[in-house]
Amino acid sequence: MRRNVRRQTLLGLAFASPFIVGSLVFIIYPVLASGWYSFTDFNLFQSPKFIWFKNYQHMFLDTTFWKSLSNTVFLTLFGVPLTILIALAGAHIMNLPVRGQPLYRALIYLPTVVPVVVGGYLWRWLLNTEYGFVNYFLSLLHLPQPEWLEQPDWGKPAIIVMSLWVIGGTMIIYLAALKDVPEDLYEAAQLDGAGWVSRFRYVTWPTLSPVTLFQIIVTMIAYLQIFAQPYLLTQTRLNAASSGPGESMISYSMYLYQNAFVFLKMGYASAMAWVLFLVTLLITLVLLKTSKRWVHYDSERG
Amino acid sequence: MKLNVTHRRIRFRAGALSIIMATSAVLLGGGPAQGVEQVTITFSYLWGGNGPEAKAIDAVIADFNKSQSAIHVVGISSPDFQKQLTSMSSSNGSFDISDHFGNNVGSWAAKGILEPLDGYLAENNIVLKDFAPSALEQMRYKGKLYSLPIASHTQELLYNKDLLAAAGIQPPKTMTQLASAIIKLTKRNSKGKITRLGLGIPDAGTLLTTLGQAFGGAWDGKANNTPTPTDPKIIKALDWYTKNVTKRYGASNLSAFKSGLGQYMSAQDPFYTGKIAMVIDGEWQAVNIPKVAPKLNWGVVNIPAYDRKLAGTTQVSTSTLFIPANSKHKKEAATFLAYMMADKPMTDFTMALGNLPSKISLLANPIYKSIPNFQIWLNALKSPNAKSLSSTPYSAQYSADLSIAFDAILRGVSTPKDALNSVAKKATSYNEG
Repeated sequence: MRRNVRRQTLLGLAFASPFIVGSLVFIIYPVLASGWYSFTDFNLFQSPKFIWFKNYQHMFLDTTFWKSLSNTVFLTLFGVPLTILIALAGAHIMNLPVRGQPLYRALIYLPTVVPVVVGGYLWRWLLNTEYGFVNYFLSLLHLPQPEWLEQPDWGKPAIIVMSLWVIGGTMIIYLAALKDVPEDLYEAAQLDGAGWVSRFRYVTWPTLSPVTLFQIIVTMIAYLQIFAQPYLLTQTRLNAASSGPGESMISYSMYLYQNAFVFLKMGYASAMAWVLFLVTLLITLVLLKTSKRWVHYDSERG
Repeated sequence: MKLNVTHRRIRFRAGALSIIMATSAVLLGGGPAQGVEQVTITFSYLWGGNGPEAKAIDAVIADFNKSQSAIHVVGISSPDFQKQLTSMSSSNGSFDISDHFGNNVGSWAAKGILEPLDGYLAENNIVLKDFAPSALEQMRYKGKLYSLPIASHTQELLYNKDLLAAAGIQPPKTMTQLASAIIKLTKRNSKGKITRLGLGIPDAGTLLTTLGQAFGGAWDGKANNTPTPTDPKIIKALDWYTKNVTKRYGASNLSAFKSGLGQYMSAQDPFYTGKIAMVIDGEWQAVNIPKVAPKLNWGVVNIPAYDRKLAGTTQVSTSTLFIPANSKHKKEAATFLAYMMADKPMTDFTMALGNLPSKISLLANPIYKSIPNFQIWLNALKSPNAKSLSSTPYSAQYSADLSIAFDAILRGVSTPKDALNSVAKKATSYNEG
């Protein structure tokens, strides 16, 4: 019997070994190695030199570090709520029983399949002050036409606009969740005389709350790690560090990348990666903790 | 049965053919070189596979391969900086020779990934004396030579002949004349919006660092190991620019004007379309303008001098070739590198790209006369005031911090002195991390 259990265990481990080996080699080891490098002076080519907490101390004095952090916090604080709001509203609209509904859904999802680099170059043109379509439409509406990529105040909104363009994925998840809201709850609410606001507040929102929690965490992580959009919008010359007007568009990941691969300061970049990891972990834990108050799971329905 | 006979015949014929081939190879001395095994080396270059640069390199490689049989060079286009770095980080590199830019030499040499070339010079007949001193300066780190410049670049003042004629002015020769030309050539509409700018900024970093040099400033200390962004002459240069452009026309007006400009070197390039009357730029424009804007009536003069001693000031930058320290065939790579630096390959290559040769003896080569207005950039390389930015371990970071400072100056939110002071402060930590 004991032999059988041992055999079963070994067999189980053998089946799980691709994952175990893969995660050890490609996840656990790199994560631990970056932790070690964060305490060293390491330029990718020569042996790392242990320097205690110097990399972490340097962050306090590095103005670009703080600028990149504040830019990323700004993008997250505005980007996440806007993504959730627009995705939720969009999912409701896509859920309306109208003709050609699948076509509209496909159209909304389409930008998500466009490679991000292509999207980046496309948006550089769309946001051109003089020739861009964005300002052309704003002029039709008699609205001010900002210098999107030239003025520090407009750089971050430009990044958010470009990020919102690929909101299709988030919207589709909400749409699938909306299909799961039990019809009987709506009927009961309607019988009680609830209007659409009350129906949303007391039926839709609570039912969608687990999905909302997931969307918030995933979107927040995406914004905290945002790289491609600001990198492509500010790119000047190949492999040169750029940060947009008044350093308004340099994100945390962009500065991390610059330190690692442009300035070849792998030790400092590793320390930055660990700070980002800890910040992300902390915010996620806080979100999970508070979620008990506003997230309702299906099993709680009585 | 018939099938078997045919098979047998084929086998017999194939066997006979192999014997004949093997015998003739022995008799005629088959293979690349008798008794010497041919070494294959890889030349990985950053230029795009379909561009004129790659074609020019392939032609030079083909000539080299034909010229001898001991070394066979395989050219690979790999326009990926990170891939180039990754290959050099392992003990087994994927290439034996590659190209980069002069401002990178110090950083890579300090990290031990470039092979010092001093030991290969004599046996390959490379005469350093013939190279432009400003170009060669970027190739050295701590007294050793780590790269060689296959091409050089200088900056001069291009102008739109029609616009200058309409304004009734001659190309400027002094900084005072340049300031006055900017005023006469800049146009604003009734709302104060700029419709044409006297002096353009295709790249703020290049323009402002060149102006700093044109006023006699140095961006690095003499020993090339300390950044000197607060050199009083540099501040004077940037103050001159601020007074004559940024403050005169307003930073927000300039930014609005700049935001609507077309792409650099495209048909919509503002210098080509007349939205910018003058621009300080490199020799590649002499090849690009006839291709993209053939109707443009343009000329080029030396960068105006702040004083007589500074006449002929220009900023020199370089395209380099190097051997990675992890190459398994350094000796052979050096032989090919020396070949690339010889007169004909360097001329062929620079002509194809519209770049300058790095050797002084080649500057007078009549072949370059076919490129319009090219002579002024060629001559500039000989000027005693031709200067390059130093190539140090901190160059990339210094350049990034200068970009931030230049951006603040151009947006009018910081004076040159304050902005450059902040760079000097940041520079104190360049050796950490």
